[in-house]
Amino acid sequence: MIGTTALEPFLAALLAGALVAAAPLLLAALGEAVGQRAGLLNLGIEGTMLCGAFFGFVVALATGSVLAGMAAGLAVGLLLGALFGLLAIGLGLDQILLGLAITIAGGGLTAFLYRDIFGRQNPAAAVRPLVLPLGPIEGLPVVGLALADRPLLLWGAYALTPVFAFVLARSRFGLHLRAVGEAPAAADAAGVDVARVRLAAALTGGAMTGLAGAFLSVVDLKLFQPGMTVGTGFIALALAMVGAWRPGRILLAAVSFGLLRALANGIQILGIDVRPEFVTMLPYVGTMAALVLLARSTRLPAALGVPYTRGQR
Amino acid sequence: MTANRVRLPPTVRSLLGSLAAVAAALVVGGLFLTLRGRDAFAAFSLLVERGLSPTGLTETLIASAPLLLVGSGLVVALRAGVWNVGVDGQLLVGALLAGVVGAALAPTVPPPAMWLVAAAAGVLGGLGWALLPALLKVRWGTNEIITTLMMNYVAINLTSWLVKGPAKDPAVVPPQTRLIPPAARLPDLFGSGVHLGFLVGIVGAIGVAVLFRITVAGFRLDTLGRNRRAAVHAGMPIDRLAVGALLASGALAGLAGANDVLGVKGLFQGNWNPAYGFAAFALVALARLDGFWLIPFAWLLALLAVGGESMTRPLAIPTSFVALLEGLVLLFFGLALALERRGVRRAGEIPAGSPTEMEPSSEPGTPPPSVTQAATEATPR
Repeated sequence: MIGTTALEPFLAALLAGALVAAAPLLLAALGEAVGQRAGLLNLGIEGTMLCGAFFGFVVALATGSVLAGMAAGLAVGLLLGALFGLLAIGLGLDQILLGLAITIAGGGLTAFLYRDIFGRQNPAAAVRPLVLPLGPIEGLPVVGLALADRPLLLWGAYALTPVFAFVLARSRFGLHLRAVGEAPAAADAAGVDVARVRLAAALTGGAMTGLAGAFLSVVDLKLFQPGMTVGTGFIALALAMVGAWRPGRILLAAVSFGLLRALANGIQILGIDVRPEFVTMLPYVGTMAALVLLARSTRLPAALGVPYTRGQR
Repeated sequence: MTANRVRLPPTVRSLLGSLAAVAAALVVGGLFLTLRGRDAFAAFSLLVERGLSPTGLTETLIASAPLLLVGSGLVVALRAGVWNVGVDGQLLVGALLAGVVGAALAPTVPPPAMWLVAAAAGVLGGLGWALLPALLKVRWGTNEIITTLMMNYVAINLTSWLVKGPAKDPAVVPPQTRLIPPAARLPDLFGSGVHLGFLVGIVGAIGVAVLFRITVAGFRLDTLGRNRRAAVHAGMPIDRLAVGALLASGALAGLAGANDVLGVKGLFQGNWNPAYGFAAFALVALARLDGFWLIPFAWLLALLAVGGESMTRPLAIPTSFVALLEGLVLLFFGLALALERRGVRRAGEIPAGSPTEMEPSSEPGTPPPSVTQAATEATPR
């Protein structure tokens, strides 16, 4: 039996854990959704996230500034997004091959540099992200406990959802994105610069993924570990599909997955005896289940993964 | 490119492309080492020295066995247009099963019979781990890239639990399966120090080469990978082919796991995860999805892995340097491939021989379809 006294901290921890774990997933999935909409499938998302996490962490550690760390993550993400974009769009490299290469090299690079710089130490960045005071909300049961003292940047990540929703659904750029992802030849004929729109999408995806990584290492954990993303990037890639590239649905999917991650800690608070390995499995099994149940009905962008060359069918 | 430029035969050209990718990766890797204050020249000469010494040669041959098996499986899947990114998980499950079965049989059953049964357990484990993604793919069109990736993480957690719990050797403290005594492991080939598993790897690679050269099944898989619609119109059982390709690929990954357990380790340990998948993707790319070419390139990648490990102590170069190199190899290979395609397109040639391209499907003037197929299989047509 669980008493109400135990239930409140449990629910609060679950909610808070879900919100914090969902934020990097959300950031990366929003970026990946923009890319997929434009016809880009970036499997380099996992490696980009690790690079964002590593360089964000190093800069935050050196400067003591959360914002500088996030900026570094963003910059590294932009760089890798540009690499992916230029090679995949400009030269027509196989996107899956290129993405795997970025993921493998990114994992190797960050693990190398981390060991090289820090040896056997595992330093933590002494940063204090700015906290958003919530006023009267903090007095509410469960919600107050869960939401109080959360970093401003956490809310910033969520605030990006409506921005992306607006840009994708209402803006000219969003329309162009969909056009080059569904029918690049038609978009080209209509005067849309396919390569430029796709490059912009690749840069957006890279930047958001880099931010997601930096959020993980700088805002959430304040430390770096080689391979620390353990598939989070790939889950975000799947979430973009599960959410049918609509930011609102992606948000919902990300929070659900955050909840699965948070369950790992929540179950321990409740003192339920489940092997941790099975709890850790949940997000991965959940991703597959969600993909089967929800993404079955969604149609992938017609030109996903296909390079566009003018004059070719 | 001018019309009277030297035309190399396609096989030589693609071999040069692959070697150039390796060379470029080594140059960039070397520059990186130099930037980090290491003597890149010393590092690479150590790598070559180590790899070509008698003991190093033995080690690289041993290390190429699992790469050959995993690579052979990947070739089957990729040529059929199926992206099996889950070889690491399939290998882990196969290795654990082989370890448990092998150790259980070792005291009572003569070694050759034990090897066969344990290898079969490994094959079944790998195949079983690929079954769910395969069924989801053909039943509901679920993207196998994501499902096989997710199955990797499930496998890591599942094997980690099994080796701490039900499959653990109760006689020892650390989480590991019962030890297969050295006398019962795979024997040396002619006293060379290289175990029988290397031969199995070679047989696997040759088998795949033969499969795609002379068998109907190979032709069908190739057709599916090159042009799905053509395969449909020809009345080929495309679902069965796709499932078969993914299962065969998983089975070979599982066999690679069994190979390491029966030939090298003798047991499955706690957090053991060799993650051959990285090297295997670089391998099959360099080998242009051809079974025969797997053999020299598997040795080359094994040399990188073994040599990379030997740099750790004397030069303080973390082993993750090897992963960096493998990623760079894949990156530069993609670049070489794109440039080759441009060359072919510009010269207006018709590419001869399927193994000259990473995607056997690419003809001048059409986008590489394998990616399209993998990504848009779910699209109702």
